Amino acid sequence: MVPTSFRDYLPGVGIVPGSWTIENYTRILTDDYYREVVWRTLGLGLAVTLLCLVLGYPLAYLIARGPARWRLPLILLVIFPMMLNLVVRSFGWIALLANRGLVNNLLVDLGLIAAPIKLMFNLTGLIIGLTHIYLPFMVLMLVAAIQNVPRDVEAAAATLRSTRLHVFASVTLPLTAPGILAGSILVFVLTISALVTPRMLGGPTYKVMATLIYDEYMQLLDRPSGSALAFALTLVAIAVIWLSSLITKRWAGMA
Amino acid sequence: MSDEKPGHLTTALALAVVVFLQVPVIVVVLAAFSRTAYLTIPPQGLTFAWFGKVLSDPDYLDAIRLSLILAVGSTVLSLGLGIAAAYALFRRLVPASEAITSFLMAPLVFPSVVIGVALLQYYSLVGLRGSLAGLLVAHVVITVPYIVRAALASLSGLDMSVEEAARVLGADGVTAFRLVTLPLIKPGLVAGSLFAFITSLDNVPVTIFLLGARQQTLPVLIFTSVEHGVDPSVAAISTLLIAATGLALVLAERWTGFHRFV
Repeated sequence: MVPTSFRDYLPGVGIVPGSWTIENYTRILTDDYYREVVWRTLGLGLAVTLLCLVLGYPLAYLIARGPARWRLPLILLVIFPMMLNLVVRSFGWIALLANRGLVNNLLVDLGLIAAPIKLMFNLTGLIIGLTHIYLPFMVLMLVAAIQNVPRDVEAAAATLRSTRLHVFASVTLPLTAPGILAGSILVFVLTISALVTPRMLGGPTYKVMATLIYDEYMQLLDRPSGSALAFALTLVAIAVIWLSSLITKRWAGMA
Repeated sequence: MSDEKPGHLTTALALAVVVFLQVPVIVVVLAAFSRTAYLTIPPQGLTFAWFGKVLSDPDYLDAIRLSLILAVGSTVLSLGLGIAAAYALFRRLVPASEAITSFLMAPLVFPSVVIGVALLQYYSLVGLRGSLAGLLVAHVVITVPYIVRAALASLSGLDMSVEEAARVLGADGVTAFRLVTLPLIKPGLVAGSLFAFITSLDNVPVTIFLLGARQQTLPVLIFTSVEHGVDPSVAAISTLLIAATGLALVLAERWTGFHRFV
């Protein structure tokens, strides 16, 4: 794949054998359209990661610290959507978010909006869909992290007249930081490389890196450009994972 | 000690999130029983016609068949390869076992699209594109990490002296593994196999690049047909998948305490 990314591509002719160019890479950084797609992908990854964290933490906390008899049903309800076919889940979101979908119909019927708002084929749709899909991963990571926090530490802080919020902010949250980081990295990497959901909820025109790679390969047959993008995506993923392992090591050093 | 328990607000938020996770599933199931030819929720009337339509459509039947062949085939192959690899890695029978472990695990975090295009390039070179063997190999690549992970986790919780005891009592290596070690790591392997099976059945980003002109797997067929417009037959086939997944999850939980392995 790497050699192909340096080949010239002539529309209608194909890959120019023996050619050598870095244009496929420079285009990712200089061409406005490509740059937009790359930024959109990274921004999407960030937004989805943050949302998963905010939504996932209370749920993970309830699973780890809530009533014992709720535990199993809650965990199964988290695992179930995770095991479910990705295409099926994205299809569910299409039914919900389309112009004549459930959400718009409900809002119109309630008189909150006059005309359907656009929830699909844009960033909103992608964020909602991808958050739903990667939330279970975050929750499971956080449950493991919260369970590792000794209850005595929190109890001790509470005895020392800390308020609940204060205990959470100064004890629980820092102690679960490694789990938060691990979950965030996982969700971020999965989000920026997702193909199915962005394609189904973003349509053929609203593109992220993975769907652009798909189109370059399958529709435009521009393999050199597609593989340059694929290589760039791989580099981003590896860089993020490497960075997180650095942070983890530094934390381990501090403790 | 009430300070460490989740408060009402946390509980309410968490339960709302649980509902959010189930919403698309409920919507799909409801849509499948609608009488109308377009998607309506709540459904207008009640009909099973869409299920009949899907299950008599040769395109869907072919796709279901290919998906099942790939899922069963790759799970079985991955089980064989994965157990052997995990065992060798765990007992340090091979050098550089840590490097090999992370290499085997790589498909878990590696962008699947990249695996897809890389295999496409390679298959075009060696002429495997569109062949069943090529698809099977690709599915083994993406499912084997789940088996290795499950097997390694189960093995590390195991007291290896049991196997050695069997050896002392006269069992040869294979017999000791088959009669002692294998049954002990079975729950983990069942969980890993379910993950592998579902991953294969679910996969679009790798498969879509490798399919031949007349080949379709089930998720790829749903994926491409949604691009042409949504109708309740897609909801019907999705509902069947939802029911199958739910059933598999419940059975696996009964047999092995599945949630411990996630």
